[in-house]
Amino acid sequence: MTEPITTMPSPFRMDYTYVAGTGRSVFLRGLAERKLMARRCAGCEQVYLPPPEFCSRCLRELEPPFELDGRGVVSTFCVVSFPFPGQRIDPPYVVAYIQPHGAGTRLMHLVREVEPEDVHIGMAVEPVWVSDDELDTSLLSIRHFRPVHNGGADA
Amino acid sequence: MRDVAVVSFAQSPCQAANRRDDMADILLPVIREAVYAAGIGRDDVDFVVSGSHDFYEGRTFSYIESLDAVGAWPPISESHVESDAAWALAEAWSWLQLGEGDIALVYGIGRGSLPADLDQVVPAQLDPYFLAPLAPHRDAIAGLQAHAAIEAGLTSEQGMAEVVVRCLDAATGNPLAQRSGQVDVAQLLDAPYVSSPLREHDVAPIGDAAAVVVLAADDAARRLAERPAWVRGLDHRMDTHYPGVRDLTTSPSTRRAIGRAAELAGFTTSDVDIAELHTEYSHQEAILTNALELNGAVVNPSGGPLAGRPVTATGLIRIGEAARQIRDGNADRALAHATSGQALQQNLVCLLEGDG
Repeated sequence: MTEPITTMPSPFRMDYTYVAGTGRSVFLRGLAERKLMARRCAGCEQVYLPPPEFCSRCLRELEPPFELDGRGVVSTFCVVSFPFPGQRIDPPYVVAYIQPHGAGTRLMHLVREVEPEDVHIGMAVEPVWVSDDELDTSLLSIRHFRPVHNGGADA
Repeated sequence: MRDVAVVSFAQSPCQAANRRDDMADILLPVIREAVYAAGIGRDDVDFVVSGSHDFYEGRTFSYIESLDAVGAWPPISESHVESDAAWALAEAWSWLQLGEGDIALVYGIGRGSLPADLDQVVPAQLDPYFLAPLAPHRDAIAGLQAHAAIEAGLTSEQGMAEVVVRCLDAATGNPLAQRSGQVDVAQLLDAPYVSSPLREHDVAPIGDAAAVVVLAADDAARRLAERPAWVRGLDHRMDTHYPGVRDLTTSPSTRRAIGRAAELAGFTTSDVDIAELHTEYSHQEAILTNALELNGAVVNPSGGPLAGRPVTATGLIRIGEAARQIRDGNADRALAHATSGQALQQNLVCLLEGDG
């Protein structure tokens, strides 16, 4: 009997243009300048960060962008303990939903400069930005969030 | 069977490349236009279903982004097909037939401009063992089909150019077309081959657009449209995936789909005034005309895909355009056809009718 073929290499490479859209572009451009640009919906008062071009509940165009300082609280988090391909950091590390002050939505990011066992929901955190030469139109312009030790009261 | 009709249709302009709008932004104005034209609010929509393809977007579950334009809060009843949105309309039609609701919103988004090079993407849609490793040019299989169709006497390079001339001329009346104008056959035949016997004009120009159709059943349809375009028959069939086992000069799946659609409708292609055909290549008009036994109907009065092909929105636009002709009183009966896959592999046929 013929030995069955069990593998077949099938290399694909596909390049795409990414169209960020006008709303998302405002946010991404802000990140390259260490700014977190939010937008409010006049219909329901929701503040989006990152903001799209219009409110997904009211379907109205959002108001002009304004800057938030990025300070906020940990809304929820988990500790990643498992290694996987493509991982950038050695586990264990903390992945959190950050609720920035003034925003109605949450940002996912890392929480570092703190032991994982010391992180808690409600912990006050602030963004740590990368150096000037690393700034880009990407959320990676924020290296991670870290606990606020002075002036930032827990929620 | 319930009476289900197209009560509204809108689309964005076919653009070679839209670099301003993300998936939600390209869709939102089109939804607004279609919903406004139907005189309803989005709370009146019972079911939302869409069609698009990750191959063109370059990421998985890409259509999720478009839901921001639908207003998916509070949570909605929703579905998606990974295909041309004409198949989403087929799902909505079935859903309405089941009596699950009265109004369905169908949308298609096609962004063929996002792949930097379709020659990288098209082979990935093929059989992974025998065809994909050969990495055929995006129009290679269509070229094989066109050559076979010419050899079978269905058309000629001259005949194909005549189809293009007629479509581009018709498209001068369609402000949303990507390509239109008065050209002559001799001028077209002077152009070099892309994938012989296909020239650039024989290949429907790929681009970006969104389209929205609102379907309604029974009294809702009569309430929302002065002259609803009733979907009297609808069916879709597919031929086998591997082109090598097909006779590329015929379309048995189209033939079977029109047979079933005509049975449901109680009329057939000889009764239709206009037909909107999803011709991705000029030679396919001859193959489809044969399979559908079209006889005397005006084909692609909108200009058809040869005037603009926003990939997975293209088939839904055929249904919307055919319905428009009925709703505007230009036709009493119309046919719409949609295709998906290589060389007319999958085909959908829809027969529409206005009140007498």
